Amino acid sequence: MANIFPRWSNLLPLQIAFCLGTVGAGVVVGINYYATPKAQVVGYKPNQPIPFSHKIHVDQLGLDCRYCHSFADVSGHSNVPSGNTCWNCHQHVQKDSPKLEPLHVSMNPAHPRYDGKPIEWVRVHKSPDYVYFNHSAHVNRGISCQSCHGDIHKMDVVFQDQPHSMGWCLDCHNAPENHLRPLEEVFNFNYGDGDVAKYTTDGSIKTTVDLGKKLKETFNVHPKASCTSCHR
Amino acid sequence: MSKRIWNHPEVPQDETTVSWRSAGQLRDTAEFRTWLDREFPQGAAEMANQDEMETSRRTFLKLMGSSTALAGFGMVACRRPEAYLVPYTKAPEWVIPGKATYYASSMPRAGGAVPLVVTTHEGRPTKVASNRLHPDYEGTDAFAQASVLDLYSTSRSRKFLKGGKAVKRSEFEAVIAALAKDKSAKIGFVFGADESPTRLRLIAELGKNANAKFYQYEALAANDSAILGEGVKLVPDFAKADRILSLDCDFAGTDPQGSNVAFFNRRKPEGQGYKAKPDAASMNRLYSVESAFTLTGGMADHRLRVAPGMVAAFAAQIAREFDIAAEGIAPITDAEQLKWVKALAADLKASGANTAVLAGSRQSAAVKHLALAINLALGNIGSGISAFQTGSKGFGDIAALTADLQNADVETVIFLTPSNPVYDAPSDLKFGEALAKAKTSIHLGLRTDATAHACTWHVPAAHYLESWGDARSSRGAYTVVQPMILPLYPDCVAELELLLAVLSEDGKLVTGEGDEGKPAPALEAVKATFAKDKAAWKNLLKNGFDASDTYAAATPALSGNAAADIANAKSAAPTKDKLDVIFATDSSVYDGRWIDNGWLQEAPDPVSKLTWDNAALIAPKTAKELGIYEEIIQLETTFASRSPDNEGSGRKSPVISLEVNGKTLEIPVLVSFGQAENTIIIPLGYGQGFNADDELERDTKNARHVGLVGVNRGFDAYPLRTQATSYFATGAKVTKTEKRYSVALTQEHNAMYGRALAREISTDTIDHKGDFKAQLAKVKKQGNDSHAPENISLYKQEDRKGGTLLSDKLHQWGMTIDLSSCMGCNACLVACQSENNIPIVGKVQVAKGREMHWIRMDRYFAVHKDNTFDADNPAMVPQPVACVQCESAPCETVCPVNATVHTEDGLNAMAYNRCIGTRYCANNCPYKARRFNYFDYNKRNPLIKNNLNKGPAGVRQDKEAPHLQKNPNVTVRMRGVMEKCTYCVQRIQEAVIRQKRGQKQEVIASGNLSPEVTVTTETLRIPVDSVKTACQDACPAQAIAFGNLLDKDSSEMGRAKVLERNYDLLNYIGTRPRTSYLARVKNPNPDMPDAKFVGQSTIHMV
Repeated sequence: MANIFPRWSNLLPLQIAFCLGTVGAGVVVGINYYATPKAQVVGYKPNQPIPFSHKIHVDQLGLDCRYCHSFADVSGHSNVPSGNTCWNCHQHVQKDSPKLEPLHVSMNPAHPRYDGKPIEWVRVHKSPDYVYFNHSAHVNRGISCQSCHGDIHKMDVVFQDQPHSMGWCLDCHNAPENHLRPLEEVFNFNYGDGDVAKYTTDGSIKTTVDLGKKLKETFNVHPKASCTSCHR
Repeated sequence: MSKRIWNHPEVPQDETTVSWRSAGQLRDTAEFRTWLDREFPQGAAEMANQDEMETSRRTFLKLMGSSTALAGFGMVACRRPEAYLVPYTKAPEWVIPGKATYYASSMPRAGGAVPLVVTTHEGRPTKVASNRLHPDYEGTDAFAQASVLDLYSTSRSRKFLKGGKAVKRSEFEAVIAALAKDKSAKIGFVFGADESPTRLRLIAELGKNANAKFYQYEALAANDSAILGEGVKLVPDFAKADRILSLDCDFAGTDPQGSNVAFFNRRKPEGQGYKAKPDAASMNRLYSVESAFTLTGGMADHRLRVAPGMVAAFAAQIAREFDIAAEGIAPITDAEQLKWVKALAADLKASGANTAVLAGSRQSAAVKHLALAINLALGNIGSGISAFQTGSKGFGDIAALTADLQNADVETVIFLTPSNPVYDAPSDLKFGEALAKAKTSIHLGLRTDATAHACTWHVPAAHYLESWGDARSSRGAYTVVQPMILPLYPDCVAELELLLAVLSEDGKLVTGEGDEGKPAPALEAVKATFAKDKAAWKNLLKNGFDASDTYAAATPALSGNAAADIANAKSAAPTKDKLDVIFATDSSVYDGRWIDNGWLQEAPDPVSKLTWDNAALIAPKTAKELGIYEEIIQLETTFASRSPDNEGSGRKSPVISLEVNGKTLEIPVLVSFGQAENTIIIPLGYGQGFNADDELERDTKNARHVGLVGVNRGFDAYPLRTQATSYFATGAKVTKTEKRYSVALTQEHNAMYGRALAREISTDTIDHKGDFKAQLAKVKKQGNDSHAPENISLYKQEDRKGGTLLSDKLHQWGMTIDLSSCMGCNACLVACQSENNIPIVGKVQVAKGREMHWIRMDRYFAVHKDNTFDADNPAMVPQPVACVQCESAPCETVCPVNATVHTEDGLNAMAYNRCIGTRYCANNCPYKARRFNYFDYNKRNPLIKNNLNKGPAGVRQDKEAPHLQKNPNVTVRMRGVMEKCTYCVQRIQEAVIRQKRGQKQEVIASGNLSPEVTVTTETLRIPVDSVKTACQDACPAQAIAFGNLLDKDSSEMGRAKVLERNYDLLNYIGTRPRTSYLARVKNPNPDMPDAKFVGQSTIHMV
C-alpha cells in the first residue's frame, strides 16, 4: 500500500502547532494591549456642545483651575462650572460669537431660544461607579491636576491623557515622589526642575523627583493601596 | 452543601443557666440539629416546586447558548456610552457637588417631636440622625430612621381624589375657596396628637368661627387630661430617677415618654462615656410589671408577668404599701408576689423623690390614677418626674366627633391626623357610618388609605421633610421643622398650607414655594409664631430649636374621678376559656401608618422576630393547655407535612380562630416566652388590604388602600376593639382551624454558636460567683475562656517584607457594644439600611434566610434552671452582631480572588467589584455576619410575585423614586456579590480626607512655604471621636462606641476597651475581633424573692 501522506506532510503537525501558537500568542498580546484603558480610553476626545478651549483660558488668559472647577480642593468631585460662572464673563466678552450659542440658550433670557436648561457637557474622564476617587485628597496634598489630566493648558479640545486604570493609580500610590509638588505649585502647569530651587537650599536637590522624595517625608505621605481607599 | 462544623465544647455540668433562641431549639431534637447544621434553612438552596421553577436546566442552557451568540453582536457597541456632565445653570448657595449638606429639623409625633439632623445630597434628603445639641436629645428609633423612605415611597399619594377618583387640583381649590368664604361653616378639624405652636395659633384664629370644632385623634396615643388635668403631661427625668417602676409602660420601645438617654447611661456602671470607676450604686434599678415582653421589660432588673387586667391589681397592691386606698380592687394573695410588692415598695420609699412610677399610656385610668398617687406619695414630681403644662387643650376625641357627625353639628370634616380613623377607630363607634353623613369630608394624607377612600376628598400630603412647620419636643423646647426639598409631587399640600388656605380671605391654596416673588405662606406662618428677631430666627434654623421657649411646669394633683375610677376597675385573672387579649402597639407599623414602609416591615419584631406580618402570641404553657402547642412547634414545611424544621422556606404556622367582643378573627399563632399565662397578644395595624396574590384569598375590596409593600400583610385586629377595650379585652375564646399561614421568622437565621456569647453579671452577690467586683473580674473568663489556653497564631502577622500588617500609625478602628444598655430595638439596623443602601428582599426571601441586614439583632432567652419564683419568666438578652472586623479574619484566607482583605487601619475590607460570589467567606465566618445578594434586589422589585426569578425580564425598580434615597458614597451592590459591615468606611474616609486639608491651613497660618512645614501625626489624625458610624449615631441607648484605638483613653471606645466587662465574642477561636462587647450588668434588689436568679443570663449556644 502506497503512502497516503507524502513525505513533506511529516512536518505539517509541527507547522500547524507553530502557527496556532503564534496566533494564540498574538491574541493574548493583542488583548493585553488593546483591551486595556491605556489603548481604549487614552486619547478619547469627544465633541463638546461649546468648543471650549483650555488653551485660551488657561495658557493665554492665565485663569486658575479653581475659577471654574471651584470645588476641586474642597470636595471629592471636581465640578464643571455652572452656567452662571461662564455667564459672568461671557455676558460681556465675545457676546456675539456663534460658538457660545448654547450658553445663550441656557443663560440669556433675551435670546430667542432661551430655555434655562443647563448645558450638557460630554464627560471625558469617567471612573467606574464603584471607584470613589477624591480630588480634594490629592490636590491638598501636593498632587497636581497635571499628573492625571496631562497638559490641559495646551489642549484646544480636552482629551484623556492618562489611562486612569487601577494599575496606573497604584503606580503613583507606590511611588508618589514622582508626582509630589509643593502645595504652591499644584495648579501651576509649567512646574519643572527650574522651580525646585525656590523651595530648597539643599544643593543636592535638583529635580522635581528629588524634591518629591523630600516632600514625601515632610508631608508625611503614605499613600494606601488597600481596597477601601477607593472602593466602598 | 455542608459547612465546616466547629465543635464547641459542651456546657459544663455545673452551669445553671438554660438559654435558647426559639422553642424548637429549646426542645433540641436530633432533627433540629440537622437543620441547624445546614448553612441555609431547608429549601433555600433548592427549587421547591413547579411554581418557582421558572428556569429548568433545559431552558437555562438554551438561554445561555443564545446569549453567548448575541454577545458577538454586542461587541460592535463596546465603546463606552457617551455620558454627560450637567451642571446647575445658577449654582445654589451652599451646595457643593459631592458633599453632603446637613440641616437641623425634627420629626413631629405624639409625645414630642424627635430632634433630627438631616443629611441631604444635592438636595435629596437621604438620612436622618439625631440632633445632639438639642436639650431633649433622644437618639432616634426605627420609625424616625425609616421615615426618610416614606418620602420616596412608590405608593405615596400624589393626586387629588374625589370619591376615590383622581381629579384636577382646581376642583379641590374651588371647595377650599367656598369653605374659606363661609365664616360660620359647621366645620370640624381632626388633628394628630403631636403639638405644633403654629398650628395652635391658627386654631385660635379658626376658633373665631363659633361653629368650628377641633378634635385630636391618634389611634394609640393617650390623652391624660382627665387624670392629670387639661393638657398636663408627665415626663420622667431619668437623670434623677434611681428607682423606676414601669406599670405596663414600654417607655424604651413603643410607648415613648421622653428622652431615655439618661436612663441608658445609668444602666452602665461606669456612667456616661465610661468616665468613672464601675460603681453599682450609680446604676438605676428598673422594675417592670407587664403582660408580654417589651423592650422595657427586657431591660428590667425585676420583671413580673401578669395578665393586662391584673396590672391594676398590682398597682393597687403597691399603692396600699403607701397607704393609698384602693378598695375596689381585690388584693393580691400569692405570698411570693406579695413579697415582691413589699420589697419593691420598700425600695421605692428608700429612694423617695429619686423615683419614677410610670403607667402605660394605653393602660386603664385606674392604673394611671394609682401611679400618680404613688408618685405624689413619693414626692417625686419635679425630681424623678417632671410635670408640664402643654398647649394641647380643648380638643374633642373621636367619640365626640362621631356624635357631632351623627347630629350634623359638623357638616364638613377635615382629617389632618396621621391616623386612619375609618380603619382604626374603635369598632363600636361605627365611625364609617357617621363619616358618611358629613356633607364634605377632606382627608390629608401621605397614603390613600381607608379614610382617604371613605372621604369625599383626598389631598396628597407633603412629607415632614418637605414642609415648614414647628413642634415641641418631649419637654417642650420649641423645635423647627424645615423642608429639605420641595414636595416631590407638585400637588402635595402641607397641613399648615391647608389651614392657611381655609383662614385666608379668598381661600387660595398656595403650596410649596408660594407665589412668584412672595415667601412660602407656611414659612411666614412659622416666622409669625416664633416672633423673634432675625438673629434668633437664624439661630433657630441653625440649631433646630429655641430652648428658651418651652413648657411651663405644672403641679398635677389626684383628680376627682380617681376614687370612682379605681373603685370601678375590674381586675380578674384570665382562664384558658376566658383569655385576655392585648391589642398591642406594633414595633414595625406602629398603629398601621407605617404599613407601606419596606424597611420597617422587614425589620424583625424585637421580641417575636417575625417580619412582614403580625401573629397572635401565646405563652407556651397556655398553648399546651389549649392543645395547640405541638402544632405550633412542629411547623409544616414544603418538604414534609410535619417536620421538626423550625424555620425555612414554606414555614407555616397554624391559624386559630379568636372570638372576643362578639367578633372573630382568624390569625396565625406563635409561641412567645415570658408572656403572662392565658393572655394573647395581637399587634395592631396590619391587614389593611389584600389583592389576588393573598395566601388566604381574603377579600380584595381594600386592595387600593395599600401599596406593594403593605398589601397582603398580616391580620387586622382593629374590628375586635371597642372603646372600653381599646387596650385589652377579656373573655376571649380560641378554637383551632385547619388553615395554616406562612410566617417569615428570622430568629434562627445566621445562627451563631459558642459559649458565653452574651455575658451577664449581677451587682448582687451570687453564691458561687462572688460579689460584683469578683463577677466583674471574671467576665473575661466566662464560658470556654475560663480554661482554654491562650491562642497562639501559627501565622506570622506580617507582610512579605516582614513589615507589620496593621501598619497605619494614624488610625486603628475599633468598636464596643455595651449589652448593659442595648435593649434590642431596631434603630441601628434600620439606620444601617439607610446609610449603606441595603435593599429589602421581601417576605419570600426572608423566609429563606436571605435578609440583607448587616446588623443582626440576636435575641436570646435564658432562665436559671432552679428558678423557683417563676420558671416561665426567662430573661430576654438582645445582642446586635455585625461584622466584628477580625484581625485574623477567617473569611479573608478563603477568598479565592482577594475580594475581602485587610486594610492597614484594621478594617476587613470588602471590594464588591472583585467578588465573584463563591460564598466561601460566609461559610467560614464564625459570626455569620456576611450577606449574599442571591438576586439583584436593588434593581428588580422583590415584592412582585416571582419577579426575581425572571432575571432581566423582571420588573425593574432602580428608576423609581426610592432610588433617590440611596447614599451616593456607597456602592449599590448587584446580584452575586457578598456584602457586610465595614464600620461605615465611607464616613471614615470622608473624615480622614477632610483632616488632610488641615495641612494647607497650617501652611497658610505659618506663612512659610509648604516644604518647610513638617506635617505631623497631629495634623493628619482625626479629632477624637469625630466619626460616628450610622448605628452608633442612631442608637438611643448609647450602646455603641466607635473610635480610633490609637486615641486610647481619650476616646469613649478606648475607655470601654479597658473595662473589666469588655470581652471578645468567641475569643477562644482566635479571630481577634475589633468589635468587642461589654457584659450586661443587672442591678437586682437583694430583698426581692427573685433576686438570686437575676444577672446570670450568660448565653451558651452549643
